[in-house]
Amino acid sequence: MLYDIRLALEYDYDAPVHGGRHHIRVSPANVPGVQRVIASSLTVDPAPSLQSGFLDFFGNTVTAITMVEPHDKLTIRLAARVQVEDLTPPADLSPPLPQLAREVAQYWSIAPASPQHFLAASPRVQLVPDITNYAMQVAASEPTTLAVATAICMAINRDFKYDPKATDVETRPAEAFALRKGVCQDFAHVMIAGLRGLGIPAGYVSGFLRTNPPPGKPRLEGADAMHAWVRAWCGQHVGWVEFDPTNAMVAGPDHISIGHGRDYADISPIVGVLRTHGSHETSQSVDVLRVE
Amino acid sequence: MTSRNHQTRGKPPAGPGIIADYHLLPGVPDEMIDPSGRIRPGWDKLMSAFDALGPTELAARFERADQYLRDAGVFYRKYDGAEGKERAWPLAHIPLLIGEADWVQISSGLTQRAELLERIVADIYGNNTLVQQGLLPPELVAQNGEFLRPMVGVEPVSRHYLHFCAFELGRGPDGAWWVLGDRTQAPSGAGFALENRVATTRALSDIYSGLNINRLAGFFRGFRDTLFAQARRDGGRVGILTPGQLNETYFEHAYIARYLGLMLLEGEDLVVEGGQVMVRTVAGLKPVSVLWRRLDASFADPLELRYDSHIGTPGMVEALRSGSISMINALGTGILETRALAAFMPRICKHLLGTGLELPEIATWWCGQGAEQEYVLDNFDSLMIGPAFSNQLPFDDLRGTALGASMTAEQKTQLKQRIAAQGGYYVGQEPVRLSTAPVYVDGRLEPRPITLRVYAARTENGWTIMPGGFARVGSTTDTTAIAMQRGGQAADVWVMSSKPVEQVSLLPVEGQKLVRNSPGSLPSRAADNLIWLGRYAERCEATVRILRAYNARLAELSKPDLPILTHAAAFLETIDVDATEAMPQGLLASIDSAVHSAGQIRDRFSPDGWLALNDLQKTAQRFATRISSGDDATRAMTVLLRKLAGFSGLVHENMYRFAGWRFLELGRRLERAIQIARATAWLTAKDAPDGSLEMLLEIGDSVMSHRRRYSVSAGTQSVVDLLVLDPLNPRSALFQLAELRSQIETLPGGVDDGQLSPAAKLALQIHTELVIIEPHELTPERLDRLASDIGMLSGVIAAAYFT
Repeated sequence: MLYDIRLALEYDYDAPVHGGRHHIRVSPANVPGVQRVIASSLTVDPAPSLQSGFLDFFGNTVTAITMVEPHDKLTIRLAARVQVEDLTPPADLSPPLPQLAREVAQYWSIAPASPQHFLAASPRVQLVPDITNYAMQVAASEPTTLAVATAICMAINRDFKYDPKATDVETRPAEAFALRKGVCQDFAHVMIAGLRGLGIPAGYVSGFLRTNPPPGKPRLEGADAMHAWVRAWCGQHVGWVEFDPTNAMVAGPDHISIGHGRDYADISPIVGVLRTHGSHETSQSVDVLRVE
Repeated sequence: MTSRNHQTRGKPPAGPGIIADYHLLPGVPDEMIDPSGRIRPGWDKLMSAFDALGPTELAARFERADQYLRDAGVFYRKYDGAEGKERAWPLAHIPLLIGEADWVQISSGLTQRAELLERIVADIYGNNTLVQQGLLPPELVAQNGEFLRPMVGVEPVSRHYLHFCAFELGRGPDGAWWVLGDRTQAPSGAGFALENRVATTRALSDIYSGLNINRLAGFFRGFRDTLFAQARRDGGRVGILTPGQLNETYFEHAYIARYLGLMLLEGEDLVVEGGQVMVRTVAGLKPVSVLWRRLDASFADPLELRYDSHIGTPGMVEALRSGSISMINALGTGILETRALAAFMPRICKHLLGTGLELPEIATWWCGQGAEQEYVLDNFDSLMIGPAFSNQLPFDDLRGTALGASMTAEQKTQLKQRIAAQGGYYVGQEPVRLSTAPVYVDGRLEPRPITLRVYAARTENGWTIMPGGFARVGSTTDTTAIAMQRGGQAADVWVMSSKPVEQVSLLPVEGQKLVRNSPGSLPSRAADNLIWLGRYAERCEATVRILRAYNARLAELSKPDLPILTHAAAFLETIDVDATEAMPQGLLASIDSAVHSAGQIRDRFSPDGWLALNDLQKTAQRFATRISSGDDATRAMTVLLRKLAGFSGLVHENMYRFAGWRFLELGRRLERAIQIARATAWLTAKDAPDGSLEMLLEIGDSVMSHRRRYSVSAGTQSVVDLLVLDPLNPRSALFQLAELRSQIETLPGGVDDGQLSPAAKLALQIHTELVIIEPHELTPERLDRLASDIGMLSGVIAAAYFT
């Protein structure tokens, strides 16, 4: 599957901003065997005084920009062409949940891919007893770790209402859980909290969704903005599997990933520190079109 | 646990009379009395000297030490409830004496330990062999809040992660010293150790010089020289990075900055440009090469660490990646303070250094492992149980850590269940038993538990251990009550030598090249605070003068609705001062603002100035509760005026004429010019009632001058001439402008190749206009314009030097 991705992030400031630094994580990732970036370019307007790039701990591409000149508007544009493979989902060779801990414990590693990083609370995902109990009930009769994760993904989709007005970017998982409402970020955070509560290593994936569905299929929720979903570690034979609780599915050829981390804080599209007094308005537009 | 037992009366130890009444706690080793009941060497001399002094003289000596600490303004901040309060440093007057043999053992053990910690942290952020080889459980790193992922793979430019560490030691029941905890994040207290030494030797100088006690200055000199040598290589400055004046140990940051000649910097003083950390100074951006960090690492950079940090520097991590700055200690070294790590230290030491730990540490069982968890559950009652990831010493952590036996049956069941479910979050530790040392309470000696804090610094010749430190002394015999935050005391530590000791100080040695620091290094934030300190102090003075004039008339006439009084009250209202209050809130607010500004730049002016300002604040607050308007308030204002003059005098006479003094002076002059222009406008207005001119002269402190200079009684023109246009009257607006001009021209960039800076041009313009104007042209409107022109000048200075 070949996609052309267009992204524009716009920031309108009330008062002119005198300088600022931002870390941008919006460029699609190369994932060997899964996703290949054919071309990708990021432009910032007005042009930053400095622009550089580096890979963060989890291997995500970060673009660092420094603005010096005063400006009242900042636009970040991404244009990329990406090839995504249509892979068959893995066979379920995952262990029953009670045996997962033993498999995790065999990882004497703190390398970025080690499941050890994804078990504890992280900056934006607290372990919430209510969510753990919810996950426990959903998981009760499931035979394997993969089945447990799938069941939680489906349950959240069933029990939660997609509602962009109910939450914002700062909403904690416990609040979204109490409301049973939110957007992809909330769905993902709640699912991560649930999985970790059961001892399943879980992380956050940021990316894009195909805008127009294949003929005869419904348009996916969240396709008009940047998207987020979940990765769960289902034992040493299966490894990491990605779930999209917003759309009740395993992430597949319609999902194009930017990168991952423990939660939103590790992979948010833009982190910035500004010198300004006013507030700002943000707008976002995304187009992911299949090229044929 | 030891318990206090008043019934125990052992055989009094032999020796000086003062110790006849010193009763040891049963089964607890003591620093002064050895197990056979004999007084240890050194202590005998100290106690004999106490005997010779007698109780009265001894009490006077100890009072001298306390007085020193008060005069020096030694404070730490204590957190209780919502806001922290500054507390006097609680000195335990009797020093703790450590013998040479003990010290050799301690310093060798800590040198080994510092090296071991360096190797561990380098491995955690580097090759990860300890985890891969099964010596360090991955959970303790990957689930640790102090594991800072952005720092993985970032090698320090100095090639070392640790440069300055502290260790908490205790002497166990077997008489050996044990390590109770490591401090690697941002160890505090070294400055307090110095002040303890100064205070204690004030009281006991004759005794001190009679014993061979190691000096502390050499340790600091070695470390300072290392910092500056590195900075010289890299061409930048050396600073102490502080979280700011609300921090518990801010006093110490300011103190060390002053003592070692480092810049005292906060996160907002710094910017990162092209990967280089720069400090905003009044002479522009200057590179910084070394930062001695007293700020918890995760706050250092809001861009890559804690996004909610308001005290960090965006881009700091990037600067570290690019290798342009040395951080003392590296960001991420706080992970070494993790309590559960203690369980793995003995094996790691064997593995990395090929030998055992020289100094043992508290036996620790991490419940993330099967056998260890079982042991903790089986021995639950006799262990201290607490969080594995805590970085507090077990006996300091009263909220999170407790002896199993001290819990209720229900607490035990719950905690045991949690340990069984999530063992990785818990450790069990052997309870700490400490030795005792004598403290002086109500004229007699009592044994109290002590811990010893010792510092290690990396120099170009490797690790050096401070021969001293401070001892924390429990407030009761209960070892859990030792924390400084909870009312313990701190004693100086005297490390004895068998040979005469070298006399060292931080003054340059004869023949050593003198290095002068450039005065251009005044951080912009400090300059901004200095200007405001000058302005607030002057605003207080102006307000106090008006209030005094007001209350004196009120006392005399006792009719508050007299025109002159309502007119003056209306003027005070324009500066948010309510004349009907004997001690107006508006004045108290100005005093608080002055203290607040001064508090941010404690390293920049003398302890005497700080104390004078604090005294002013306390006095004003006391007045606020008891004085009434009229005569009472008049006298109170006179007292405040005298105290303000005392503060100004201390600052003016004693402050070196660096750029810092210049900004303070600018603030004073700006405010005085504005105040006099506004008061003159108000009191020479067309509707100004009778008596206004006399009041104006009084406010302008120029009654005598007027009488001498003009043979007439006060008329508008003569008063305006004297208060605004007289170049020789130090209270006149023109005088302030002449001073402002010359100060502004001396600032960095004030005059460049004969070109005036914008601020200098504006000052020249305002000054010139005033020089040529005639008294009759100075209408109230013109005076108001003068005040606003000077306000504009203040803005131009701020734009040029503070942004």
